[in-house]
Amino acid sequence: MLSVFGITDPAIWLGYGLAIGLAILCMVYGALNWNREGEEDHGS
Amino acid sequence: MAVDPIITAVFVLVYVAITLVLGYIGYKKTVHPEDYLLAGRSSHPVIIALSYGATFISTSAIVGFGGTAANLGMGLIWLTVFNIGVGILLAFVLFGKKTREKGAETDALTFPDLMGKIFHTPVLQFISGIIIILGMPLYTSAVLIGGARFLEPTLNIPYTTALLAFAVIVAVYVIYGGLIAVMYTDAFQGAIMLIGMTILLVLTYVYVGGVNVGNSALAAMSDLVPASLTAQGMTGWASMPELGSPIWFTLITTLVLGVGIGVLAQPQLVVRFMTAKDNRSLNRAVLVGGPFILMMTGVAFTVGALTNVYFFQHEGKIAIDAAGGNVDAVIPLFINTAMPDIFIIIFMLTLLSAAMSTLSSLYHTMGTALVCDIWGRGKTCVVSVRANQVGCIIMMVVSVLLALVMPASIIARATAMFMGLCAAAFLPAFAVGVYAKNPSRNGALCSMIAGAVIWFFWTVFVHAAEAKTLGISQFLTGAVTILGAPWTVIDPIVIALPLSLIVMVIFQMRERTTKAT
Repeated sequence: MLSVFGITDPAIWLGYGLAIGLAILCMVYGALNWNREGEEDHGS
Repeated sequence: MAVDPIITAVFVLVYVAITLVLGYIGYKKTVHPEDYLLAGRSSHPVIIALSYGATFISTSAIVGFGGTAANLGMGLIWLTVFNIGVGILLAFVLFGKKTREKGAETDALTFPDLMGKIFHTPVLQFISGIIIILGMPLYTSAVLIGGARFLEPTLNIPYTTALLAFAVIVAVYVIYGGLIAVMYTDAFQGAIMLIGMTILLVLTYVYVGGVNVGNSALAAMSDLVPASLTAQGMTGWASMPELGSPIWFTLITTLVLGVGIGVLAQPQLVVRFMTAKDNRSLNRAVLVGGPFILMMTGVAFTVGALTNVYFFQHEGKIAIDAAGGNVDAVIPLFINTAMPDIFIIIFMLTLLSAAMSTLSSLYHTMGTALVCDIWGRGKTCVVSVRANQVGCIIMMVVSVLLALVMPASIIARATAMFMGLCAAAFLPAFAVGVYAKNPSRNGALCSMIAGAVIWFFWTVFVHAAEAKTLGISQFLTGAVTILGAPWTVIDPIVIALPLSLIVMVIFQMRERTTKAT
């Protein structure tokens, strides 16, 4: 059985992977849209 | 606690002093009622993110749900998935921006005010305000009890003194400094929480032998799961419970869905979006918010489960047995037993921060709901700073009185109940309200009432955990619950939210059809 960092149940390591992945996605989203939709940037 | 009481007292005093200074800065910056209610609609993105996160995460999330992870295992990580995916990404990107735009467009100053203005009726403002002042004191009291129960042994003071001191210190800066003070202190407290939880994660993995070794040791302990939990579907602390078993239903419906989705329509969080100057601020806040929540709930759930490895290696017992069967005692016991003295103080400040940041926002939301939305409904919400201060004082007194009579065991339950009620009553109407061009007023009214009533009915008569504690079903029908398994383990939100949504959608479609013809 595949073990990821000592965890063998895919439902658990998948959960960890998703949680970390979503946190990274938040960082990427924030960085990519850092200067978008400011006061002077309506509609973008 | 083994830490020198004088050193502890010095740290607490410095912490309280910084908090009060930040509150004073908030007070000096509060000139207009709009400053008091919405921090002048110009909050910094980092402050929005930390304030949102610190308000979101209370002691219940760290101690209560951390203890639950010690009991039920790492499956709780799915709540972190929802906390970030729904509570941050969906909340900020889909709801946050629209909420901010609608708030600015209508000049709404509170969540009920926003509901009233979107649907063009003070009735919705009034009903939203009523739901807040009836439901929120329960959650506020739970946060107060959690903070006081923690301060009592830490500072070696009587419980009632701890409760009153805690309530009054937070009230001082909320009453005088309004939302600016709340958000400044939240950001400071959020930073402390981030430091505390990072150290907790690192030290825990060091103590259990590293990531691979610690997790493998936890997975290998599955034969130590108590028979009572195995019978209900638990398979181990590093694996999910059996699909469809009572523990699976509790884990998924109450903890993951109930708390994970419930966060979307909490008035004290929604108002944070309205403090942003523009949508760019919300984009930037997402960058901080996602990792912050991962480091809060993700760490609490992981450490909670791993305490089983630590206690088994050192005391030959699983965590819940080491804590004398009390789930809420697992995390404090682990901290006091395993961690160095200096970290005990840091973690104490982390928990104090979690409690104070949530409490301050709840006082503010309840006080403004009472003054702006119930007393001043339909008029412009900008009554006066003084009137809103009086509202905060009244709701603080109500919460303290409730905390003095509520049992301590209700902390985690009250938190989940409040989140469930908010989602069932507010979410469908709020979602349609911020997105639809012509949202249905009758739909919102019926959806909110249906959501609240169905949630209340299921809580009192069907969901065993609450029905048993409340005892109303037993008194009226002679039975603890009026339905049998599996309904008794399905959270009220799973029933009330879809029905509330159906009501909203039917009205919305019917009115659209009527207008089209």
